[in-house]
Amino acid sequence: MDDHVITVLNNIGGFSFIALSAYLLLLSGEISFGQQAFFGIGAYASGMFTAMFGLSFWIALPLAMLVAGLAAAAVGALTLRLRGLYFAIATLAFAETIRLILVATTWQVDVDGEPVGPNGSEGLGNIRWGFDNEYAPVDFLWMIYGSLGIVLLLFFLMERSRLGSIVRTIGADRLLAETQGINVTRYKILVAGLAGALAAIGGAFYAHIQTTVYPENFDVMLGVHSLAYGLIGGLGTAVGPILGVLLDVGFLEAVEWIQGYRMIAFGGLVAVLLIFMPRGILDERRVHLLRLMLRGRRPDIHGAAGH
Amino acid sequence: MGSGYALLAIGFTLIFGVLRRLNLSYGPSIMVGVFFGTFLFIQFQAGWYTVLVGTVLGAAIAGAYVERLCFWAIKKGAAVASMVSSFAVWMQLEEGVTIAFPDRTYEFPALGDFELIELAGLSVRQEHVIMLGIAAILVFALHQLLYRTRFGLAVRAVSEDPNAALFMGVNTGRVIFLAFILASAIGGIAGYFIMATEEVITPKFGLQATFKGLIAMMLGGMGSVPGAIAGGLLLGVVEKQAEWYAGAVWRDIAAFMLLFAFLIVRPGGLLAQHTAARDLAALRRV
Amino acid sequence: MLEIADIVTSYGKIEALKGVSLSVAPGEITCLLGPNGAGKTTTMMTVAGLLKPRRGSITFEDRNITGRDPGHIVRSGIALVPENRLVFPDMSVHDNLRTGAYSRSDNEIEDDIDRMFERFPRLDERQLQHAGTLSGGEQQMLAVARALMARPKLLLMDEPSLGLAPMIVEEIFRIIRDLNAEGTSIFLVEQNVHQALKVAHHFYLLEQGRVTFGGSPGDLEEDEVIQRAYLGSAETT
Repeated sequence: MDDHVITVLNNIGGFSFIALSAYLLLLSGEISFGQQAFFGIGAYASGMFTAMFGLSFWIALPLAMLVAGLAAAAVGALTLRLRGLYFAIATLAFAETIRLILVATTWQVDVDGEPVGPNGSEGLGNIRWGFDNEYAPVDFLWMIYGSLGIVLLLFFLMERSRLGSIVRTIGADRLLAETQGINVTRYKILVAGLAGALAAIGGAFYAHIQTTVYPENFDVMLGVHSLAYGLIGGLGTAVGPILGVLLDVGFLEAVEWIQGYRMIAFGGLVAVLLIFMPRGILDERRVHLLRLMLRGRRPDIHGAAGH
Repeated sequence: MGSGYALLAIGFTLIFGVLRRLNLSYGPSIMVGVFFGTFLFIQFQAGWYTVLVGTVLGAAIAGAYVERLCFWAIKKGAAVASMVSSFAVWMQLEEGVTIAFPDRTYEFPALGDFELIELAGLSVRQEHVIMLGIAAILVFALHQLLYRTRFGLAVRAVSEDPNAALFMGVNTGRVIFLAFILASAIGGIAGYFIMATEEVITPKFGLQATFKGLIAMMLGGMGSVPGAIAGGLLLGVVEKQAEWYAGAVWRDIAAFMLLFAFLIVRPGGLLAQHTAARDLAALRRV
Repeated sequence: MLEIADIVTSYGKIEALKGVSLSVAPGEITCLLGPNGAGKTTTMMTVAGLLKPRRGSITFEDRNITGRDPGHIVRSGIALVPENRLVFPDMSVHDNLRTGAYSRSDNEIEDDIDRMFERFPRLDERQLQHAGTLSGGEQQMLAVARALMARPKLLLMDEPSLGLAPMIVEEIFRIIRDLNAEGTSIFLVEQNVHQALKVAHHFYLLEQGRVTFGGSPGDLEEDEVIQRAYLGSAETT
């Protein structure tokens, strides 16, 4: 595989984590414009752990997930009372605050005679763990897709479990969930924390592939993109958001002549798609039909229209 | 500066009021208008009024495009889809402008050469006084429009209950379309005066306009015009104070922290009132 | 005056009206009775232009109004008092009445508003109050007055007695009779069969999207009407 293909694949994998993170919150009925904050926290935290304190990536990754997860759970607890748009804007405000604080913060330590650490808008550089340990991009490819595979597996298990149905119930009707004796508060915070940790995985990989990250990597564009991926790909299954990433990063990046007009093409594609499929390509109904077909049964219309 | 934010927030509020949906492309529409204005200035050395008209016109046309594609075409009950779609169109507008204006940073004609003036012991930029005056006039005109005309009646009816408005024979689709264009035009005026004091424009202005308008609207409480004004003024004051005491980066941090704190402590905004319950009901469907 | 011929209206794949035909004679009160979910409100919505019938035709005063938009239908002389009243809660009583006259462009609107206040003195006292602060009965009167502001020849009323105290219901039906005596034709959907049969000249029974009976109040025992209007009858389907 040539390097360009590997880079594109790595990007697809990395963004898939944050897309899944936004998707998880969508399932629980919340629109977040702020998942980029946890992607950023994951990137910065893991980068600092490896570059400043010399930890291994494999220790830095779970630590970064923990930091981002705790931060996300705290935000989730604070914004518990907010719904819909208010929640979306609160998460956006949080994410922008984090990003701007990173711009305003400089904290460097001396590593091998060089200052290393977050340096305002100059970003956090010298994340050399991959280089020092002779990891090539293709090695990261395996690491990313291995992790993504595990995450997807967990998603599928979750969707079939009690947790999955609880999350979807809360998303569909919070009051109904409460009357069924579900502790909505606890699950909301749990989901927020998990989503934060999930975004941090993407951030950690991103930081170690790029070796330098800047606060502006985590601006609102990334957050809304991750939300858009779920809505393009579909809200019916965890494959949906990844399909969304694939369409944007994979398809549009691959087609040369679109390059100069990529945002116009992507924007138009999304706008038109949402007119005809407001819940994405793989929405609940089509996922249901696909499952039936995979099991070799003829789809019956009434069952499918039940959604 | 606060009055500019207030105007931005009023436009935002108008759209949110009639649609109960968020138009993220609001700022980028204004940005298109501002670039059209600057194009007239650079290409034809147009005077200030031509630039103003051009800005408003450009914003209104971009607004019309957004409404048709992201709101009119997307069926009822899919507010999230509308919001994401308006974001997608935002990217289109931003890239479209970047392609048309490849240098990114352009000069915007100042309103004129003004001296600082003394006002109650403070030295104030004259542009800001003019902006405050324009904002006051616009707010008054908008109030007259909403409460004294047949169109205003229809706008209020649609924002309270679109179905009931339909029963009364109101063409809700058209009212929403016109309100959307009106809101974008107000945004265009706000954009013109903000730019005329800043004198430099970049495509990033779309992002700023959406953010500032959104923050001011939410500080004031969504869907209320007096709230939007109060929110805009508060935002202006807080930003100035933060910039003065802590430096330019902290200006934006203060704005976002203020918003975050407000949402947690007082989600209804400054002028939380009886409409808050209805807003929440509407938002639950978002 | 109003002729509905064989209309079929559906929500997605579900047909709510499966070929409904009925007529409203000028100067009369015509009632549509039937159990919940029979399609009564759907019929009203279809006549008012809010739902487009898939098939069939609606004629009003010999003009075809099938599938026209609501604004056109209001202008041609049909006004609706919607189910659950749907007044504009944050608008004043006065402004609510103005919305009712939205389809008009003459300059007698303010005079008509004054006339409404004469007819409904309780609204007069609350002219500048927000409609949301009115009692249920007052809101219903406002909804009726608002519809009358369009100067309709035919008034469609969807469950005007819903959720109101018995005394208020009496008053609403007195208003219906008064309006009819003044020459307004009325097409009424009701759950309150007893009251409806007292005022109606004609009535229809709608069951599962089909008209199963049409006639005058004397043609059928009240008990049977009540039975079929609440529960539906076994032999229809």
